[in-house]
Amino acid sequence: MKHIGFLITGIVVTVLFFILSCGFDYNIYEWMYTSQGFSDSMMNLNVYPVIAAITIIVAWGGAAIYYYAINSVKFDRWYHWLAVMAAVAVLSPVICYLYNDSVFSDSGLAYAGQAMRFEMVTVLFAAVLFIIASYSIRWWSSNCRHTPIPQ
Amino acid sequence: MRLFLFAIGGTGSRVLKSLLMLSAAGVRPLDEDGKPVKDLEIVPVIIDPHKANEDLKRTEAMLIDYREIRKKLYGTDPNADGFFANRIVTLREIMSNSSVTLNDTFIFNLGAVENAKFREFIGYDTMNEANQALTSLLFANYQLENKMNIGFVGSPNIGSVALNEIKDSNEFKAFSNIFRQGDRIFFISSIFGGTGAAGFPIMVKNIRQAANLEGIENRDALSRAPIGGLTVLPYFTLEGNKHDQRIATSDFIVKTQSALYYYKNTLTGDNDSNVNSIYYLGDKVRSKPYLYDPGEHGQRNNAHLIELIGALAPLNFAGVPDSKLFDADGYPMPTTAYEYALAKDDLTLNFLSLGHRTRELIYEPMSKFHLLFLFLTTGLKDIIGQGFTEDEPKIKSDFLASQFYRTLVDQFMLAYAQWLTEMHDNMRSVALFRPGEIDMSHVIEGVNVKKALFGHKKVDNDVFKSEMNKLSKDATIYSDRTVEFKLLDLFNKAAHKVFTERYENIN
Repeated sequence: MKHIGFLITGIVVTVLFFILSCGFDYNIYEWMYTSQGFSDSMMNLNVYPVIAAITIIVAWGGAAIYYYAINSVKFDRWYHWLAVMAAVAVLSPVICYLYNDSVFSDSGLAYAGQAMRFEMVTVLFAAVLFIIASYSIRWWSSNCRHTPIPQ
Repeated sequence: MRLFLFAIGGTGSRVLKSLLMLSAAGVRPLDEDGKPVKDLEIVPVIIDPHKANEDLKRTEAMLIDYREIRKKLYGTDPNADGFFANRIVTLREIMSNSSVTLNDTFIFNLGAVENAKFREFIGYDTMNEANQALTSLLFANYQLENKMNIGFVGSPNIGSVALNEIKDSNEFKAFSNIFRQGDRIFFISSIFGGTGAAGFPIMVKNIRQAANLEGIENRDALSRAPIGGLTVLPYFTLEGNKHDQRIATSDFIVKTQSALYYYKNTLTGDNDSNVNSIYYLGDKVRSKPYLYDPGEHGQRNNAHLIELIGALAPLNFAGVPDSKLFDADGYPMPTTAYEYALAKDDLTLNFLSLGHRTRELIYEPMSKFHLLFLFLTTGLKDIIGQGFTEDEPKIKSDFLASQFYRTLVDQFMLAYAQWLTEMHDNMRSVALFRPGEIDMSHVIEGVNVKKALFGHKKVDNDVFKSEMNKLSKDATIYSDRTVEFKLLDLFNKAAHKVFTERYENIN
């Protein structure tokens, strides 16, 4: 029951994150990073929700792969989990940057410097979402349910 | 049901040790339907005046360890499934209110016998001249001078006199108080030595004639008790006894023949019901020679195949249905004799050399126990803090310093490894597992792991860890059990799966 609670909490927090990424007045990304022109373009081109969706998919997907596809006694240490988190934290901003770049290019805009700095926020959100996803789904993994911190 | 198991002499102790190993592996007596005998308690009693006998001391230490380990695993529940399944208790442990004082030990106290020379014991010096002359005809001088704390040095004629004391002992009285209808009695002894050859018929006589003894309760139950016996025929040789002929290998056959005639006339004849089941076991292929030691230096013989096979006899006897032991009036049936043969007459044996029934009984339990031995000694330490060890009840690192773990691994399993090595180095060589091999995929001699899509399936600590993780994940049965039970029960279940799925089936 406790584990279901963790899962529901994780889903609720993730959905909230997505909703807040869609906000116009209160956008979670703009709490973390704003830059004149860049932020307006992100908002106007409706990029934030897509970036949020990419981050959510990569973070939850990474956690799912770790706990249910890898799910091996050879990779059940905290540092294995940390390595997957690092991969998620790298992969997520890379994909987001490529998406950003393509959207801005199509619109004839150039915010390479700001976009790079913005992706630091994505790194942070990807890591946090990976932790949330991990604590939501780890309980049913046969070999990694006690990773990273035994419960 | 209680099985009172009297292990007499050095062979008795060594067979008992093998029985402990089988019991630790989870080998249990099966009834005629192939199901484990329920509510079984084994009550071993070692009868040997030679307290300094190393074989006796080793067996006693293992009995104590076994009892401690099992108590931690299952408490006092006689019905357990898995490692250390058979409940083993002392007479003292199962005594209810009784006026008899008894030490909590597996060893029969033969105080009056142990502390005297045989001539003192029989009062030789107080005999008149005629009796002394007769006594000198019956007993050699070295026998009269034999101090019996080293045993009867291969002389059953001493033993048959000295061991008559047994019927007056507290242990025998306690046994008679405890014995109930439905219980069984089994004797393990050799026939070519002194203590065992004499002790077996004397004990049987005293039990069957319980009605004539003073201070004995449950006389009727005792006189009708189902009695079985393992009689071990010659299987080892001695070396280094050129100048001391008290025990001679060349006498073994003659002694055996004489004793067999005696047994036939008094215990196991065609219409004799003193002993219901007799198991004869011996080997023409003799062991590697043991160092000649009538007793002064502790007598320590290596473990041997015969003792391992012999240990199956009491288990078999415990599973014999009552209908084959009692007649319609409830009296013991005449003797049934059992023999044993190997499937292959090999000098180096593995599981495939054993007959099908033996393999069915011991192959999986022994293999699982050996894998447990490897897992505990090579794998557990690195696993603590992960996977199943973190499920409740948690197995923490201090478990490795616990009394239970040290008793199991540092004492019992050390003795187990030594027992295997001794059997391996003996003749016939028992090579059930590859000595020194820690690769689980190749450790069972003559048995391969199954083929996989590419190469062969693997068996290692990670495989066990993974299986135990899976089993532990949804298990609720451990919440009110001990950490010790959880570890061994999980391993037992995981090992069954691994064994079935990954090793070739030889049964």
